[in-house]
Amino acid sequence: MDRQQEFVLRTIEERDVRFVRLWFTDVVGSMKSVALAPAEVEGAFEEGLGFDGSSIEGLSRIYESDMLLQPDPSTFQILPWRGETEPTSRMFCDIQTPDGLPAAADPRHVLKRQLAAAADMGFTCYTHPEIEFYLLRSSELGAEGYPVPVDRGGYFDHVTGGVAQDFRRTAVTMLEAVGISVEFSHHENGPGQNEIDLRYADALQTADNIMTFRTVIKEVAIQQGIYATFMPKPFSDEAGSGMHTHFSLFEGDTNAFFEAGREFQLSDTARQFIAGILRHAPEFTAVTNQFVNSYKRLWGGGEAPSHRSWGHNNRSALVRVPLYKPGKGQSARVEYRGIDSAANPYLAYACLLGAGLKGIQEGYELEPQAEDDVWGLSSAERRASGHDPLPGSLHDAIRAMEESELVAEILGEQVFTSFLRNKRDEWEAYRQNVSPFELRRYLGIL
Amino acid sequence: MPVMPTRQLIAAGFDDLERAKRFLADKELIGLDLGVLVGHLSHAADPDQALLSLLRVIEHAPDALKLVKDPSLAPGFMRLLGASDALAGFLIREPSALQVLAAPAPQVMRGRSAMELRAELLRAVGADPSAGMPPVATARGEDGYRMLRVAYRRAVLSLAHRDLGAADALEAMPAVGRELADLAAAAIDGALAISRAEAAERFDPADIADLRLAVIGMGKCGAQELNYVSDVDVIYVHSSDRLEDELAHTIATELAVGISRAIDSSGIEPGLWEVDANLRPEGKDGALSRTLESHAAYYARWAASWEFQALLKARAIAGDALLGAAYEAMVAPLIWSSSERDGFVDSVQRMRRRVTANIKPSEVAFQLKLGPGGLRDVEFTVQLLQLVHGRVDETLRVRSTTKAIEALSMAGYIGRDDAQKFDSSYRFLRVLEHRIQLVNLRRTHLMPHKEAGQRVLARAVRSSVGGKISTAAGLLQRWSETKRLVRQLHERIFYRPLLSNSANLSADEVRLSPEAAQSRLRALGYADPKAAMRHIEALTGGVRRRAALQRQLLPVLLGWIAEGVNPDAGLLGFRRLSESLGESHWYLGMLRDSNAAAERLCRILSNSRFITDLLEVSPESTAWLGDNKQLIPLSYEALWAEISAKLKRNPAAEQAMRLIRLVRRREILRIALADGAEAIDQDTVGRALAENDRAAVRGALEVAQRTEFAKTPQLGEFLVVAMGRQGGKEIGYCSDADVMFVQRPFKDSSPEDAQAQALRIATAVGSLLGKAMVPAIAAEPRLEIDAALRPEGKSGPLVRSIESYEEYYRRWSQIWEQQALLRAAPMAGSETLAEDFMAMVQPLRYEQVMGEEQVREIRRIKARVEAERLPRGAEPERHLKLGRGSLSDVEWLVQLIQLQHAKEHPDLRTTSTRPALKAIGAAGIIPEADLETLDTAWSLATRIRSAGLICTGRVSDVLPTSWPDMEAVARWCGYAPGEASVMEDDYLKATRRARNVFERYFYGFED
Repeated sequence: MDRQQEFVLRTIEERDVRFVRLWFTDVVGSMKSVALAPAEVEGAFEEGLGFDGSSIEGLSRIYESDMLLQPDPSTFQILPWRGETEPTSRMFCDIQTPDGLPAAADPRHVLKRQLAAAADMGFTCYTHPEIEFYLLRSSELGAEGYPVPVDRGGYFDHVTGGVAQDFRRTAVTMLEAVGISVEFSHHENGPGQNEIDLRYADALQTADNIMTFRTVIKEVAIQQGIYATFMPKPFSDEAGSGMHTHFSLFEGDTNAFFEAGREFQLSDTARQFIAGILRHAPEFTAVTNQFVNSYKRLWGGGEAPSHRSWGHNNRSALVRVPLYKPGKGQSARVEYRGIDSAANPYLAYACLLGAGLKGIQEGYELEPQAEDDVWGLSSAERRASGHDPLPGSLHDAIRAMEESELVAEILGEQVFTSFLRNKRDEWEAYRQNVSPFELRRYLGIL
Repeated sequence: MPVMPTRQLIAAGFDDLERAKRFLADKELIGLDLGVLVGHLSHAADPDQALLSLLRVIEHAPDALKLVKDPSLAPGFMRLLGASDALAGFLIREPSALQVLAAPAPQVMRGRSAMELRAELLRAVGADPSAGMPPVATARGEDGYRMLRVAYRRAVLSLAHRDLGAADALEAMPAVGRELADLAAAAIDGALAISRAEAAERFDPADIADLRLAVIGMGKCGAQELNYVSDVDVIYVHSSDRLEDELAHTIATELAVGISRAIDSSGIEPGLWEVDANLRPEGKDGALSRTLESHAAYYARWAASWEFQALLKARAIAGDALLGAAYEAMVAPLIWSSSERDGFVDSVQRMRRRVTANIKPSEVAFQLKLGPGGLRDVEFTVQLLQLVHGRVDETLRVRSTTKAIEALSMAGYIGRDDAQKFDSSYRFLRVLEHRIQLVNLRRTHLMPHKEAGQRVLARAVRSSVGGKISTAAGLLQRWSETKRLVRQLHERIFYRPLLSNSANLSADEVRLSPEAAQSRLRALGYADPKAAMRHIEALTGGVRRRAALQRQLLPVLLGWIAEGVNPDAGLLGFRRLSESLGESHWYLGMLRDSNAAAERLCRILSNSRFITDLLEVSPESTAWLGDNKQLIPLSYEALWAEISAKLKRNPAAEQAMRLIRLVRRREILRIALADGAEAIDQDTVGRALAENDRAAVRGALEVAQRTEFAKTPQLGEFLVVAMGRQGGKEIGYCSDADVMFVQRPFKDSSPEDAQAQALRIATAVGSLLGKAMVPAIAAEPRLEIDAALRPEGKSGPLVRSIESYEEYYRRWSQIWEQQALLRAAPMAGSETLAEDFMAMVQPLRYEQVMGEEQVREIRRIKARVEAERLPRGAEPERHLKLGRGSLSDVEWLVQLIQLQHAKEHPDLRTTSTRPALKAIGAAGIIPEADLETLDTAWSLATRIRSAGLICTGRVSDVLPTSWPDMEAVARWCGYAPGEASVMEDDYLKATRRARNVFERYFYGFED
């Protein structure tokens, strides 16, 4: 029993915690949860908690036998929304085989392995996501068959006394209560759309935080009688929900992306990292944009980045190098704007980091930055400038990923296979579906 | 000119007498009593060298004559000159250092304190050791470095003088190691003072002063048992009250780089040693210095198990003392809980491998440090015991090896007598190392290669070992005795106490508590230490010869068994084997006399269920492990000679068949043992197994025909044709035999009767081989005859006449039947019929024209097979035979290409897969790179299939999912311990790629 574990047990006693939820994630990024009575926690630390892997997406076909959840005591938190009368807490878990080894199919392990690869190169990876989501009146569709947003506010509008105001205040308080610092929050440009930025943390912690964040947001919404969705594109005519993420690599205490005096203060390491991400982006788009619906956001215009390009403060670029603040060398970073709010953060970050590291290892050359608004160019102009498109649909993305040795390397053969299988099934189901669009468009005339 | 008597020179230890005489006549020595001088020189390890150095020193520093003339000082001076060319060279560069030698060295070595050394070296560079602020040097650059290094070497000179003067070097060794470590620490403090002065050129002095830097010594420096010349392993920690993190980090890095520069850059006074910071978090890629918090965060999150073990030696040696102490306090709890961490057993095994790893073959015979019985072997044993028992016993928490041995002995983990032997062996090896390094002040752990060098070394250590060894031969003998002792002591100390039960405990032996014994077994990897203790007791209890011998052997065997995947099963298997072999003298003799055999046996027992089961029923085969000649599979001819002899002697069918099947079982075991001993490669395994089955089938056919013809006269010829993998001679350990049966009636017999007789024979062959015998043949992997590849498959007749085959193939043949014929080869029976049958099928398999339609047909069949044959619920990615990119994909592609191209490329006409792949490449049909992909997948799948059976004893066509099975399979396939998931990933990758190639060429899918 180590100190962290003792701390957890002591807190459970002192705060009279009634339930401990063990959290883990399947390959598509859905949070799974098992509740434990306090008396069972000690045993779970020592031996792990057995569960039936076959019920979980991505684990199902790989292991016939039982799996173990090994709670990570450093992630212990009291959950605030469960109230003071019956305090409930949570811990994230690593999934293990019955022999106590990391399960290859555990997304958290995939990211850990990538972080270890970074550590072997001397890097620690920090990330900082900006998560967008919509607040709706309910999960039911409105009378016209569309979801109904809670308000009609625009970008940076301050809607006095709106539902969103209350919501944000409560959400921020609760996030702080579970140890997630929120850097800045403002209203995004769609009706009912919100954005909350999480503070810089190392990549694993950020991914854990994103999973917690989604749960907190959904819980708070329910408490307030509304509904929160992280669906990439719930409205055809409004902006989608992205999860722009800033990456930086540190060597010890130094930011490896920073080099004073260079163009945009970008070091060679940063340039190679960007080049790696850009070169391999089509291969991992199925991971960062994993649903049929994701491609509606990616190809829905607005600010969505759909072509391989990078730029300095260019809002149409796939990779953006934010404005440099003098004297803040430590904050040098690059922002990947392709990823959406419904991605599995463990796998998505593993892919982005892996592609960036590949760029560093192989010393990729970075193309010149995109000077113009990429959306404003004609497709011939885009092709001429080397701004190739990202895959146009989940199907294209699957094809690109199938060919990728790099993504197979990053995810490991098992997750690679089960992820692709899951996505092919999704595409198959989508292709067979006759949509309202078709009915409206064709039924009356054909 | 006085002539020195030769005898006196020889007695003094001179080697080159003519040269000595010439030197003694040198003008520098005029006026000295040469008899007295030669007497002094006799104290030197190398009088020839001492005399030469003396002349050179006097030439540069006539003052040295004073030392020579003083009888109380001269012996010490000569000892130094005769021990170290490098220090003589230093005296020539820095004659003022002679005054270090102006006091006689005491008989009992007296060490200098760390504080005194630090003050001396700081003052040498103009820094104030007593200042409250971090000391800053007034000297910098080349000058500063020279001053620092000269002061350091003066201190080394003084130490060497005292070390060499000590009456007992073994006694003095720990004090010498401690002083060298303290001196290295002082040099780092001096270098840091210089580095601070230099940093002032780039940073604000107030900022530099605010930056606290602590240097943590690791390894031998941390443990205060340093060599004369060694890399000094360090870790840097910094902190600052007021500086921004980034600036603090920049300054700390600058200071650390400055330390290395001051100590080791090239200069007039050569560099001292390398300051090696590679043990820091993240190794050579990590930041050179970190804050305490950053270190703590790293150890909390990232550090590997071995890194905690390295911390065992961590000690704050220089720089900011408070910060250093805080670092020590931070890491202490990490070390002692490391034995509870996941991966401890692995990292112990890794430590163990480090003992024997990376020795250049040319150095094996000369290594003092590496290899069994070397210094590292001692250190490994001591550290392992400290880590295993130090968790609960705080008295073991010491850094240096000599202190740890003492503590382990005091606390009762090592017997007093063993501890004493261990300690003196260690000291002896260290003194040898010190003397070797002193000569040129070079980092080396190699015994001199030449006899002259060995003789000098022998003289250098003679005082410490009672003057008994002053010849090269004596030294080498003493050294090899020490190595043997150390090797035995590892086993004695670590394993022997595990054997101690009251019955056989001698008075001197350590009695471990059951808890302590179990911790040791657990650290070795025994999952159920209690059961292991029971097996050990059963094996060693009692007074019989076997028990007595096993008490001797088991300490070694326990270690080997523990290196396997399943030590618990291995030990149990060993116990069973020993019980069934009883007192067989060859068995105990083999274990005692053949290390290689005993090690192979242990590895097999703890890795292979299949072989353990077979060995249990034929324990006498264990003997093969001791004899490489027995590990060569018998040729088909030899097998058949044995079987036909047995058939002659045993007319009764039942008895004859039993003997044939016993031969087959025995040969399977032989092949498996050879496979496990890596005596044969994978292709040989497949071929040998196929030949073994072929001989058994021929034997069975002989028995069947004999029985039949005793009742009815022979009516025709009979032939067994091998098909499938049997035809390709690439089968696995428990493969079925794929066959077809062919007959041809004699001219004068009735075709119906001949067909009926052939059917009786074919049926008999199958049951003679496949049916259980009474009494059963234990552990026999029975041979199933499978004739499903015959025309019309299971619904066709079991035997056909050759005419019937011909007719069938001409009129009805399906493409898959032609495909199956690609692997047909005669197996047993009539040779003339075999010739005619092969001639008949020749055009069918090799000379067909493959039209579009046939190709489409074969693709369609394959696609259907893929959909239907895979067992329900099986995962295609993990199925070794029918899965994605596995055996059948590769084989179908090869066969399609053979059908299409064998006509114009006769080289393609082979029944085996790998030669066919080679031929396809040579013919230029598919690019080599793609063929390599196919070959990799096919070989790995074949290997894993065999390994699965060997390890688990069960036939399985699926990549294992449980860890112990997978780990065992991975090791059998040649992966390093702990690489099961690497193998899994390799397999999935290889087959994914193979599937892509397959789809491209077989189905013609293009992107």
